[in-house]
Amino acid sequence: METKKPPRQRDTRDRREEGIVSPVEGFNERGRKAAGDKALHDAIQLFTHKSVAGRNAVLNALPEAPELRERAYGIKQRTMANLDRYLEQMADAVEDRGGNVFFADDGEDVVRYIGELARRRGAKVITKSKSMATEEIELNHRLEEDYADLDLEIVETDLGEWIAQLAGDTPSHIVGPILHMNLERVTKILSGAAGENLPPNVQALAAFARKRLRQKFLTADVGITGANFGVAETGTIVTVTNEGNGRLVTSVPPVHVVVMGIEKLIPRFEDLSVFTRLLARSGTGQELTVYTNFVTGPRAEGELDGAEEFHLILMDNGRSKLLGTPFEEALYCIRCGACLNVCPVYRQTGGHAYGSTYSGPIGAVITPLLKGTDEAKDLPHASSLCGACWEACPVGIPLHDLLLKLRNHQVEEGLAGKGQKAAFKVFENTMKSPALYNISRKAGRLAQKPLLKDGSVKPVPGPTSGWTGSRDLPPLAKKSFRELWKEGI
Amino acid sequence: MADRAEFLASIRHRTRTGKYKPTHAPDVAWTPKESPPETRLIEDPSARFIEKLEALKGHGFRAESGDEAREYVVSLARSRGAKLLVRWDDEELAGFDAPLADAGVEVAVPRDPEGLREVAGRADVGLSTASWAIAETGSLVLESGQGRGRSVTLLPPTYVAVLRADRILGTVPEAISKYAGGKVPANVCFHTGPSRSGDIEMSLVVGMHGPGDVHVVVVG
Ligand code: SF4
Repeated sequence: METKKPPRQRDTRDRREEGIVSPVEGFNERGRKAAGDKALHDAIQLFTHKSVAGRNAVLNALPEAPELRERAYGIKQRTMANLDRYLEQMADAVEDRGGNVFFADDGEDVVRYIGELARRRGAKVITKSKSMATEEIELNHRLEEDYADLDLEIVETDLGEWIAQLAGDTPSHIVGPILHMNLERVTKILSGAAGENLPPNVQALAAFARKRLRQKFLTADVGITGANFGVAETGTIVTVTNEGNGRLVTSVPPVHVVVMGIEKLIPRFEDLSVFTRLLARSGTGQELTVYTNFVTGPRAEGELDGAEEFHLILMDNGRSKLLGTPFEEALYCIRCGACLNVCPVYRQTGGHAYGSTYSGPIGAVITPLLKGTDEAKDLPHASSLCGACWEACPVGIPLHDLLLKLRNHQVEEGLAGKGQKAAFKVFENTMKSPALYNISRKAGRLAQKPLLKDGSVKPVPGPTSGWTGSRDLPPLAKKSFRELWKEGI
Repeated sequence: MADRAEFLASIRHRTRTGKYKPTHAPDVAWTPKESPPETRLIEDPSARFIEKLEALKGHGFRAESGDEAREYVVSLARSRGAKLLVRWDDEELAGFDAPLADAGVEVAVPRDPEGLREVAGRADVGLSTASWAIAETGSLVLESGQGRGRSVTLLPPTYVAVLRADRILGTVPEAISKYAGGKVPANVCFHTGPSRSGDIEMSLVVGMHGPGDVHVVVVG
């Protein structure tokens, strides 16, 4: 089987002649700001180092990990090739168990379905367990706006997500939503919610959150979750959490709504044995998260809790466009966050610099693909192409290769569209010499080297650590990401 | 609004007409090592289970007999100053009522949803059995069912499960294979240690939304 592509050669061309210069200004601007923020930098380092170390330790202790990774890739490949069939099987299985299934083309469909459901149920309080799919469509915000007359109180229940929600902030990491906030900031936010000054103490703050959210769990009319996996064979929805909020949101309220991207399907229940062994290990360095919760339809006859009404929303929102295209592999992602943690770019800038729901390498790939390559066209360039993401990915998604394909795609589009070409011209000056690009690639290769030792991914030294000096640099003139990279940002 | 048939037809179209077939296998860095993975035979599953659970800040106890299990639960309830314990309506747990009552702990056994709602939120201790446990990870496998409220294992700050030693499986795949290809209960949960969060500066908080005080009594 082919293992290494020669993508690095492919992108060495100087494209200024073609009017194509990496349009990285959006990311650059935000990235530079982020890289100059010492507190943020420290927070990201803390999180990514711990996560990577934990991941390495548990994966190295699992001799079958490489085999599992190949199986995971194979399962996802087969799933996507027959996605229509598995979706149908999933829908039938859920309906067999007394659940409702709704196919949503986009976020608007989802909002309308949930809004109407809330209206019918006379719902006031909705509890949510962390879900990137609902972040992607800005569900909370849109429900509050479009269904203002219902006066819904939508409460995130993951501690980090709730804090982000209180602050009007968005998650900066798939797994650690508020890793960008320090204790001081969290104290301020929660004190605001409490209406009194809380001590800057993690346990005390968590105790306040527990108490406040407990009321919400108990009074919620509807619980909304995402899905880590959906099993077509049985109609089972799997969510993993550590706090227990996922299990609470699916157990206590009378209605449970699942918003699931169509790519989250896996064919058989036993396939879970592959994915559950990879997901927590890759994401948080745990063998399993505390709660791996499997929900199949509404509560059964004679059961005392669990939702009476179960709704599965299968959401496309741009995903199906990737089927059968060279970008299909982007759909294999199980959102573990490992690629973010090892990415030398993410580790300098954090998630918000990407300006999108999904950040890091997978964010740089999936955002332009889901939103259209016109949007977020800077993101495919927010990478050093060192390949650390690919190696960390438990499903073996060749992320750096997809990033290159995206860049190529932009070239083709750039050549086709005059307007876009003109837009690229603006940034022409930012790219002074192709040599810079070569240097950046070299840096990428250097960064990759230690990653390959013993076939495992180590915390990235090299250019990453070199970047730390950047915090003291004066504000830079407009420069491309590649230039920043060369200067160690 | 998407119509199911249309939705599926569009996906079918894309998967059938797509020219591109992904070709990448996962790369060299992960390819299996030369030596075959050693089969990890777990000699004493109970011991491994307890060891794993304790590493996660849970508590495991090996009871020789049902009596010893009951003693453990009673003294646990006492030491937590418990006034109310809520338990699953399960034959195996019926014998716990009398000794608990003797110790001054009220036992609630909800048999309808309203009853459960009323007590689960204020109980000090939740008591359940477990269908299986997983030695390798220190997990309980909890199945929903008649009289087996999910919130019993979730809402009280202290949670204790009692199960027979022969219900302890070795690995996660073994546990998953119990449901593979068959009928899955409305809810199954792999419950692995106390609820936790690391969201604030990666500092560990034990007992975030679920119980922080988790005990498993292995009988036999
Ligand atoms: S692309 Fe791979 S490593 Fe990144 S989040 Fe998805 S599954 Fe994890």
